[in-house]
Amino acid sequence: MAATEPVAIIGWSVSPMERRTDKTEAQLLLDVITDATAHAGISRADVDFTCAGSCDYVAGQAFSFVQNINAIGAWPPKRDSHVEMDGAWALYEAWVRLQLGDLDVALATGSGRSSTADPATIYPMEMDPYYLAPLGADAVSMAALQARVLLDAGLVTERQMATIAARTRRDAVANPHAQVSGEFDVDALLAGEYVRDPLRRHDLPPITDGACAVVLARGEKARELTDRPVWITGFAHVAEAHQPGVRDLRVSTSAARAAKAAGVAEGGPIDVAELQSAFTHEEPVLTAALGLGPEVAINPSGGPLAANPIMATGLVRIAEAARQIRDAGKRRALAHATSGPCLQQNLVCVLEEGR
Amino acid sequence: MSKNPCAIIGIGQTQHKSRRWDVSLGGLVREAASRALEDARLTWADVDAVVLGKAPDLFEGVMKPELYLTDALGAAGKPMFRVHTAGSVGGTTGIVAAHLVETGIHRTVLAVAYQKQSEGNAQFALGSGKGASLGAGGAFAPYMRSYIHRTGAPLDVGPMVAVKDRQNALKNPYAHLKLADISLEKVKASQMMWDPIRYLESCPSSDGACAVVLTDEAGGLAAAADGRPPAWVLASAVRSEPSSFPGRDAVWSAGAADCAADVYRQAGITRPREQIDCAELYVPFSWYEPMWLEAHHIVGHGEGWKLTERGDTALGGAFPVNMSGGVLSTNPIGASGLLRFAEAALQVRGMAGEHQVDGARVALAQAYGASAQYFSMWLVGSSPDPFA
Amino acid sequence: MTTYVESTVRFPYKRSLGPVIGQFMTGLTEARLLGIRADDRVIVPPVEWDPETGEQLAHEFVEVGPAGTVRSWCWVEKPTTQHPLDRPFAFALIELDGASTGFLHAVDAGRREAMTTGMRVVPRWRTERRGHITDVEAFVPGDQPLPVERAEPAGEPVTMMTYDAEVHYLTPVTENETRVGQAAAEGRFLGLRCPRCARLYVGGKNDCPICAVALTPQDEVDLPQRGTITNYVIITPVQYPGQTETEPFARVHVLLDGVDVVLMFQPVVDLANDDVRPGVRVSAVWTPPDGTGRRALAGWRPTGEPDVDDPALVNRIH
Repeated sequence: MAATEPVAIIGWSVSPMERRTDKTEAQLLLDVITDATAHAGISRADVDFTCAGSCDYVAGQAFSFVQNINAIGAWPPKRDSHVEMDGAWALYEAWVRLQLGDLDVALATGSGRSSTADPATIYPMEMDPYYLAPLGADAVSMAALQARVLLDAGLVTERQMATIAARTRRDAVANPHAQVSGEFDVDALLAGEYVRDPLRRHDLPPITDGACAVVLARGEKARELTDRPVWITGFAHVAEAHQPGVRDLRVSTSAARAAKAAGVAEGGPIDVAELQSAFTHEEPVLTAALGLGPEVAINPSGGPLAANPIMATGLVRIAEAARQIRDAGKRRALAHATSGPCLQQNLVCVLEEGR
Repeated sequence: MSKNPCAIIGIGQTQHKSRRWDVSLGGLVREAASRALEDARLTWADVDAVVLGKAPDLFEGVMKPELYLTDALGAAGKPMFRVHTAGSVGGTTGIVAAHLVETGIHRTVLAVAYQKQSEGNAQFALGSGKGASLGAGGAFAPYMRSYIHRTGAPLDVGPMVAVKDRQNALKNPYAHLKLADISLEKVKASQMMWDPIRYLESCPSSDGACAVVLTDEAGGLAAAADGRPPAWVLASAVRSEPSSFPGRDAVWSAGAADCAADVYRQAGITRPREQIDCAELYVPFSWYEPMWLEAHHIVGHGEGWKLTERGDTALGGAFPVNMSGGVLSTNPIGASGLLRFAEAALQVRGMAGEHQVDGARVALAQAYGASAQYFSMWLVGSSPDPFA
Repeated sequence: MTTYVESTVRFPYKRSLGPVIGQFMTGLTEARLLGIRADDRVIVPPVEWDPETGEQLAHEFVEVGPAGTVRSWCWVEKPTTQHPLDRPFAFALIELDGASTGFLHAVDAGRREAMTTGMRVVPRWRTERRGHITDVEAFVPGDQPLPVERAEPAGEPVTMMTYDAEVHYLTPVTENETRVGQAAAEGRFLGLRCPRCARLYVGGKNDCPICAVALTPQDEVDLPQRGTITNYVIITPVQYPGQTETEPFARVHVLLDGVDVVLMFQPVVDLANDDVRPGVRVSAVWTPPDGTGRRALAGWRPTGEPDVDDPALVNRIH
């Protein structure tokens, strides 16, 4: 990655995570933008650039993001953009925009009401429109196929998967935003029925409505606005081929590439990582690809297994990683986001404490 | 950090038609992207990142199509980014790609935008399948009526734009509509669809894609040394404003004015009408040509229709607009913005063929979306510093 | 209590297949499974470009299978309506004999215990094949091809397919929308006044987009039911699945008396399309109470007063 302008996270907000909220996406965004700007010690008027991440098919409405602009306060008119991707990619666009050097403050959001429709009927629509979508190839089935490959290859066991589920949901107890949390006995989990063999209920994320907003500031402006900026020191994303059948599902080559491009292995050890591992078996695939050893704390927030607001889940990872640096004394954190079947597309963001 | 120069060295587009039933979705974007790479004398391996733009996924019934199209655009192992800012998206796609070069994050970026309207139905998608849809024409007709009223523009101005753009399209080998016998009489005799807009004053539904290869200063200079002139991105800007609030002026909107002012300021333009040689403006309904000339302060309020009426916006006129034939001749919605941006680049490269404006050195491109509330614009030049 | 509104987004998309997918689909009509050669690999189903390098693949098709080996599988205990089978089945990545990649399809194994990685499966073809991925109804356990009525080589190549997408949505009706709806049922218009900038909004808007603050029931005001048409559109409906209009119809913008509120795209009553114009004085017309006593806005009817002579009215769209 080219030498870049220092840009820091200076504020964020994560909405309550609920199975079904009575708020619209715009209302969720109104709240998190108000909170995130307050957290950054600024007002909406101080924001020079906004970028939102959301999905029409999740909302059930063409141009659904147009209504969400009400939450920004785009008057006078704003420099603004939208990605039909997770909010983590919206943050990427905002980060790129600040690199140009003419603007100081940017805001990125991610929002999704996963409860609007059965995800099993939405997700086949992101698959190959000729060969896969007409089969109703849903996200849980695609994940289960990857889990089976890992199990058969001896790269993970069902007990390890249950242990990950128990660990993340225990960690989630301390997270006020978690939707699923508590103490779970691994043996009891393993005694449960399969939902989609080889995946059991605990291997799957919950269905969550939620939103997230993150405020960025550039160089001097960040130092001026906070004495605890969380610097973005690496940021990259990489895709791989679409069809799961042409890929080696034991590994994530695109996550490994993104980690390399983001300079994960340079600049000291990673203390903590927030991964968008929505299914338990994805955690070992990702830690291997990202080069994270057993000393790295994974998903202390509980991760997507505790709350999974589609289109915001990745951005929440970045906010939670920033929280680890600012509030939990960690020095270097990695946040990860993903999109597509079997981790087709992966984003890596490296965060470091203020200096 | 200051901006690095960004050069456009490759441009490609599909043959646009109402139904491109000869290709898959991947085949459509691939056709444009291959042509852009060929124009740039680059291979797939030379591309560092891909930015994909399109309007709502409900048009084709493929959600987040950047996933499926990763393979068609040679993006495996690379960043693949998807933009969606309503009708302005094609423009935003070009701007996001330019930013990746201007920041030095990537050397060479492929921007692609498309729509394959024949897979679904535009009015269905605009209404999200929920009963009666006004259609885009219905939504914009009151704006056009207000414009006509407040400027006192003669009612023939709209039909004149419709004729002029279709005549330009006859010179563009890629354009969708080829109405050889177009005339003012024909336009005026066509069905009134959404008063004041007639059938022949409206854009078609097209299948099509557009691709642009952007690269850094070294890449631009190398192309120039090879006798393939690049276009240089002189300035770019986006603006958004809310759809509706009491008293919102959606004709001469603040967003349109701010976006243009931003572009002019970046490029050091103080007299746009004189300093810019030609423009590609997003005109899906005839009246939007004079409306944008005024809303973007290319000329004063009330002066736009006079340019059109005088013939200044014709290909041989003093300020040519929509030399390609514009959205009125070709409208693959998500790609329409990038087609404007690409045509502006073609003009300053001197590679626009029969629809070339003689000696074009600086060209403006614009796209807009939703309730005329999203704007994207860029200004390109035949040199990085044409006003020096 | 929050209420929700149900909706269905459904459309029969029509897809053109292009040369490679079309060849595969044509093969299906002949009960043949085709792959495409890519260097030393055979990719099934065939793709147009090398998934790794993006290079164009030569159209060198190879017949594969029909038998294959399951490389991964999962068990779908409760199929959705989009799935190919309506009883429990497995999704599997099947390496067809002669192929280098996994082909995703259903395996109709009856019960989960019948599935193992490495098992052999063969396709069960539909009798009526139309060039669609579901021409293979499912794969079934076994090594020997099932008898199939092999069609003559297809006369016409398959070039198109349909995809009938259908998603049911449940979206919340917000408190403001509910209260405005209740007021309308009583024949009243409710507006919401922004507590910060005092702009007035209609339609149960949840926030002021200028101030980005939430609007609440405390901000409600009753709005007048008379106004003036400022602008309009006569719409010639385009027909598409789900379109409910067939004849040209008018929608008007109405500036309410005494307040800074324009109601956009309103229906009209007793006003012919040719008579719609800015300046017409109108009042709201409500439907008679239905069985539950609820009314609804039928539209706006001319009051018979003289037109308002204000040329700037036409600019009031918002």
